[in-house]
Amino acid sequence: MGALSDPKGYWADLTRAERGVVGFIVGFAVLLLAGLLTGALSPTYFLFLVGIAGMYALLSFGLNSQWGFSGLINFSVAAFFGIGAYGTALMSADSSPIAGGVLPIVGLFVALAVAAVIALAIGIPTLRLRADYLAIASLGLAEVVRLVVLNERQITNGSAGVRGIPPFFEGWPVLATLPQQLPGLVIRPLPGTELVLETPFWGALLNVAIVVAFVGISYGILRRAHRSPWGRVLRTIRADEDLARALGKNTYAFKMQSFVLGSLIMALAGVFYAHLNLFVSPGDLDPVTTFYVWVAVILGGSGSNRGALFGGVVIVTIREGTRFLSGLSGFVLDLGVVALQFDLSFISSNVAPLRFLLIGVLIVVLMRYRPQGILPPQRELIWPSVVDDPPSKLDSGVRGVKAGESDE
Amino acid sequence: MVLDLLASGLVFSSIIVLGSIGLSLIYSIANFANFAHGDTMTVGAYAAFVTFGAVGGLGFGILGLPLGFFVALVVGIVAAAVVAVVTEKVVYDGMNASSIQLLITSIGIAFIYRAIIQMSFGADFTRFDVQTQRPIEALLPYGVRVTQHDVAIVVSAVVLVGSLHTLLQYTDLGRKMRAMADNPDLARVSGIRTDRVKLWTWIIGAGLAGSGGVFLGLYNQLSPRMGFNLLLLIFAAVILGGIGSVYGAMLGGLLIGVINQLTPVLSDIRFLTEMGTMLPLVPDSFGIVIGIEYANAIAFVIMVAVLLVRPNGIAGEAV
Repeated sequence: MGALSDPKGYWADLTRAERGVVGFIVGFAVLLLAGLLTGALSPTYFLFLVGIAGMYALLSFGLNSQWGFSGLINFSVAAFFGIGAYGTALMSADSSPIAGGVLPIVGLFVALAVAAVIALAIGIPTLRLRADYLAIASLGLAEVVRLVVLNERQITNGSAGVRGIPPFFEGWPVLATLPQQLPGLVIRPLPGTELVLETPFWGALLNVAIVVAFVGISYGILRRAHRSPWGRVLRTIRADEDLARALGKNTYAFKMQSFVLGSLIMALAGVFYAHLNLFVSPGDLDPVTTFYVWVAVILGGSGSNRGALFGGVVIVTIREGTRFLSGLSGFVLDLGVVALQFDLSFISSNVAPLRFLLIGVLIVVLMRYRPQGILPPQRELIWPSVVDDPPSKLDSGVRGVKAGESDE
Repeated sequence: MVLDLLASGLVFSSIIVLGSIGLSLIYSIANFANFAHGDTMTVGAYAAFVTFGAVGGLGFGILGLPLGFFVALVVGIVAAAVVAVVTEKVVYDGMNASSIQLLITSIGIAFIYRAIIQMSFGADFTRFDVQTQRPIEALLPYGVRVTQHDVAIVVSAVVLVGSLHTLLQYTDLGRKMRAMADNPDLARVSGIRTDRVKLWTWIIGAGLAGSGGVFLGLYNQLSPRMGFNLLLLIFAAVILGGIGSVYGAMLGGLLIGVINQLTPVLSDIRFLTEMGTMLPLVPDSFGIVIGIEYANAIAFVIMVAVLLVRPNGIAGEAV
């Protein structure tokens, strides 16, 4: 059933949406490869993008384990992201007003501990609330967190942010200095292009390794959790909380566990971001990050972890891809007889609102035409080994549930 | 000083009330939390801004505002209502979605409004081209510093809210709206054309939001984020008053606005600032100063507290 051992069978087994996504990914990869080979995309920047995509994937995983698993509408994603970033930054950065100089790996655990405590503090009052009240309350409390970070200057440095954050592997035996020790390479993949791979590149590669590790661990845990009895209870709560309660489940406790789990993963994304960007500021807690992550999760398909991964990549494409538009000024299309001049300065001077518009339109179109997302969970819900034989007819059984028909 | 803060609280409340009534109406009749409501206010404000730029200082002045401003106000109200109705027809109508899906959709709508405004007017702050005023002399001895513009905001809000009250209590449409807010299914089987009532709800709610946006622009400044920044305060007001209750929204808006402006009083509370001296095992210098920067935070905390203690709000029915 693997994609490599039996590509034909694998392809035939995919739903239409999955084929579209596979096609999109292949096309996108080809495009990126072309960009890399021709030198249009610098390898270091490309790795930075991969890192950011991994970060969004982590955020989507976190939200997915709250909204997708148990139906909690959490609008405080940005707050937990910020807590993670500030938690590690305040511990490890030189300019930190409270601690500083601690190993980043300690900062990681401090950040996670703080995030868990704040998740409990936010969860205890709000998780009893009705779905839409929870949305409003969590957005409000996220704003409170942002205001505290912005104004408690003696703790967080206020609007100036925290600088001088060391890279993640600072103080480790080999990894700390690995990027400096690796030799510089010059690759000429095509005549006329030249890729220089030096210290920044190796550093970026190390960052990618970190985020891949984070994403892999989170994915493994969540995949296991989602299929476990614990995950089944969460899905029941999402579908019908009264039923779960009638079956004797303490739904409040389960919701709290899912909320804390998700918040920890969001904070993990924040930790990674702090050591990637080496600078954090209260702007990182802006609610717009929350909405980006929501788009990623809805786009991917609520409840589906691979969907969250896909959504995270799409969000980075929108966020970073629109940056290239700012370089546009216009072009002239010479048709021989008549030359058409296209003025694109309107677009390039409006990149920020354009990105916003794109996100808004994406939300509306998705909710209107495909509220279940592009890759709704279907095969993920059951251990493959539990199903003895694939059903012979595709329209019956678990595998037969095609996109659009599954109710999560 | 408290008198002055109360006065500015009243002015700010007028703006919040105009926003919260619409949010509450739409919540009760369209049955979802409309996150685009704040940006509907922004739409109204910018429509009025453009109109005011065109008609300028038309005619004589009332309360320090030229007649042209009131023309712009009307245009702002109409623009917000039209935009909301078009959105309802194009997007929400026939979506057959749960209230959560509508809520998320409305976030997308909010982004679209804001992006279009930012594309047309830029991200910077602007203001209405009216003269800034000195506080009214007669009130200064009492320590109250309000301008004629502030008075105009309060008076206009009172007129608008009063007309809504008349509409709800004494007209056919108002009775239908109240019936529908109470029980939509019962209203439909009793022969009320619920679609039409829903449309009118959008018009009234968005129109009031538009007026709130115009006054917010007069009170502060205009920026593409102005409405969104106010949205959570409006939610706090609506929840405090009780979702779905128009009169609750008025009361909630009044309270949230006043509490918001009264925040400076809190920074003087000795218990908080000298916490260290009063508590054992805590350094004497320890203290929390709740300054004006936490005005919004206080409103959000109140909102969560109300949700916990009385989820149906102070004017709503008890659970």
